Amino acid sequence: MSSDVRFTDFKSDKQPTWCPGCGDFGTMNGMMKALAETGNDPDNTFVVAGIGCSGKIGTYMHSYALHGVHGRALPVGTGVKMARPDLEVMVAGGDGDGYSIGAGHFVHAVRRNVDMSYVVMDNRIYGLTKGQASPTSRSDFETSTTPEGPKQPPVNPLALALASGASFIAQSFSSDALRHQEIIQEAIEHDGFGFVNVFSPCVTFNDVDTYDYFRDNLVDLQEEDHDPNDYEAAKKVILDSEKEYQGVMYQNEDSVPYHEQHGVTEDMSEIPDGAPDDAMDLVREFY
Amino acid sequence: MAEDLNWAIGGEAGDGIDSTGKIFAQALSRAGRHVFTSKDFASRIRGGYTAYKIRTSVDRVQSVVDRLDILVALTQRTIDENLDELHEGSAIIYDGERSWEAEIPDEMTAVDVPLKSLAEDAGGAIMRNVVALGAACKITGFDVEYLDEALEKRFGGKGSKIVENNKEAARLGQEYVEEHYDLEHLGYNVDVTDNDYVLLNGNEAIGMGAIAAGCRFYAGYPITPATSIMEYLTGRIEDYGGHVVQAEDELSAINMALGAARSGARSMTATSGAGIDLMTETFGLVATSETPLVITDVQRSGPSTGMPTKQEQGDLNMALYGGHGEVPRFMITPTSIDECFWKTIEAFNLAEKYQTPVFLVSDLAMSVTEQTFEPETFDMDAVEIDRGKLVDEDEVDEWLDSQGRFRAHAVTEDGVSPRAIPGTTDGAHMSTGLEHDELGRRTEEEDERVQQVDKRYRKVETAQNDEDWDYREFGDEDADNLVISWGSNEGALVEALEYLEEDGIDVRVISVPYIFPRPDLTEEIEAADDTIVVECNATGQFADVIEHDVLTRVKRINKYTGVRFKADELAAQITERLSEEVPA
Repeated sequence: MSSDVRFTDFKSDKQPTWCPGCGDFGTMNGMMKALAETGNDPDNTFVVAGIGCSGKIGTYMHSYALHGVHGRALPVGTGVKMARPDLEVMVAGGDGDGYSIGAGHFVHAVRRNVDMSYVVMDNRIYGLTKGQASPTSRSDFETSTTPEGPKQPPVNPLALALASGASFIAQSFSSDALRHQEIIQEAIEHDGFGFVNVFSPCVTFNDVDTYDYFRDNLVDLQEEDHDPNDYEAAKKVILDSEKEYQGVMYQNEDSVPYHEQHGVTEDMSEIPDGAPDDAMDLVREFY
Repeated sequence: MAEDLNWAIGGEAGDGIDSTGKIFAQALSRAGRHVFTSKDFASRIRGGYTAYKIRTSVDRVQSVVDRLDILVALTQRTIDENLDELHEGSAIIYDGERSWEAEIPDEMTAVDVPLKSLAEDAGGAIMRNVVALGAACKITGFDVEYLDEALEKRFGGKGSKIVENNKEAARLGQEYVEEHYDLEHLGYNVDVTDNDYVLLNGNEAIGMGAIAAGCRFYAGYPITPATSIMEYLTGRIEDYGGHVVQAEDELSAINMALGAARSGARSMTATSGAGIDLMTETFGLVATSETPLVITDVQRSGPSTGMPTKQEQGDLNMALYGGHGEVPRFMITPTSIDECFWKTIEAFNLAEKYQTPVFLVSDLAMSVTEQTFEPETFDMDAVEIDRGKLVDEDEVDEWLDSQGRFRAHAVTEDGVSPRAIPGTTDGAHMSTGLEHDELGRRTEEEDERVQQVDKRYRKVETAQNDEDWDYREFGDEDADNLVISWGSNEGALVEALEYLEEDGIDVRVISVPYIFPRPDLTEEIEAADDTIVVECNATGQFADVIEHDVLTRVKRINKYTGVRFKADELAAQITERLSEEVPA
């Protein structure tokens, strides 16, 4: 692990094809800076990306990475972390990838408390397929597939995480660069599943959940004297439907990550040249 | 051929049928006898008919037959279900004190033993099946000492009192028969030998093969009949630094296994039925990202929920062609329980050498059958590990482009690229299910697209040329009649040869463990007057593949009742097919 890693080392030479002004630029910058700041380097970092605009992040960053099947990034990350507890694992996706097709995996990754960070670029819209409602779209949000709005309440990913037994729940805003980076850093440093929902506005298809909207309405928990170790206080802000918050809502200080709970410490990539020394014991079991 | 004995216990699910049968199988194995078991069961926890059958001989047995000598019947349905297999010399052990009136055909020997009362005398009604085992020992002249050993193995962990009570229950059953019946006329004789055999089923062999091959990560979702692979690995793989995750569904399971594989671990998932459907979504990603992954499918009766506890070989097309687009892959199929072990090891080597998915396709019949083997069959010293083109940080340098970027999908002559696992300095790269260039970056350039598709298929060609894809052969090599099969039908076919020989019919049997790549059977088929392809499905999926290969029509024997082939039945069907015209 080299100590002079700069955040640009996490950048690939591929120019992003995101729309100018896309929130994902800021989200990614914060991720790269947070990774460098926490002492990681590209050769020891594994980024798993979902499908959608957010999923392109694997191409624009430089590290070991997998860009996989829609909605399944968290299971891939789980497999990576179990096989290689020594790696820094970061999973990135969008609201569609994470809370719609991947919602089942989200609940269970949270429950397992796998030691990785999960960054969801939440723009409350399907961007890459050109503007359909997403699971976090408002119930009256008009799109090509929901002309009168979805007429169903949006998913509250923070509440879903809390109800699933999350050990770290946070929310950030891609445009508030420093705070966003700090929050991602805390998620990386957390021993367990570090979940961050990032407001990452879509400037092309969403004219409601805009930069201005978040600037005007976002309340930073740092200014609210919020104690993230207080579960009841966390529940209160997470279930507060009147306001949008930024910051770490909840952190369980006693969190023990999955691989530690299960005593998984070894690098599974290293195996002997033949069967293990005592493998005949396995045969003898069948006498 | 030595005389074999066919024994069974049947009752309702929840009656402890399975564990009782396993104890008796273990006792026979301890006595140096060969054992081959089969199960009739339904997808339920309690109620419904279920049976555990054992065929045993001092010679190797590898098939079931249509014959039942000793039946422990806990219900009338057990007798009714097995009437076809019972014969005049059969003995039926039942408990006349229970509320049902056993209807046993006159010509058979009814052995009425108060199983429940005797079990209570020994310490608890729960041991009534063990009383029946003691009774069976007496009827067959099988030394109860071996049963004691099996009881110790089964109940040793529960304390000596439980073991002693069970031994007592067996004694009471034995003594009761001795006092009340004279069964000399049945003439059963269960010889013992000094041989030491191990007794295991196909799923255990796959699990053991995985650990031997260095598999360290397994993710799966419970589904009949694949679950026992996960259960075998749980609690064992940890001793070797590995771990099993029970995922939330099969979509997750295969993706977890993929993540572990990309990180450099040998990793596997196993499923069946609808589970393999769900995993189809990820086949293309595994192939395109060039990830070494073993995907095990223990086939069961489909389609849809089908018959979850019944035998079928209906997933050949699924494993061979499943997934949208064109997905290069290997498909290998163990043909016997010991081969489940060796083929699993081979699957891991192929996966890493060619950085591609390998489908290891087994079937329910193998997964639930316990069979005896000499321990040397699983010689761990003979296990070879080939990790293919794994590169370390020194070797990575050879594969960097002019800008120092690792060419993870470098176009090579053999189609296999260097593989750098995370942590390797300067090897960082992205892999993706998108079509990509050598660096793993998305591309839609025509040239690059063609290069990468060709490269992935070239790996398969390389393997086709470099690896041994031979078939297994039995019977008369020069016979005019050729019978081809895949999967677990091999054992029944080998035994069918004996019946055919008695009838003066010469047959050459070819058992194919490789579906893709596969041996070219053109010469063999051309040399034969008659070719029959035997499989447990309705449409003849393998026969279709062979006809496509050799451009000639073959005869087919298909069984899709949900029950595996039996040797005698197969011999009769082969004889019948040989007399028929080849389909136009």
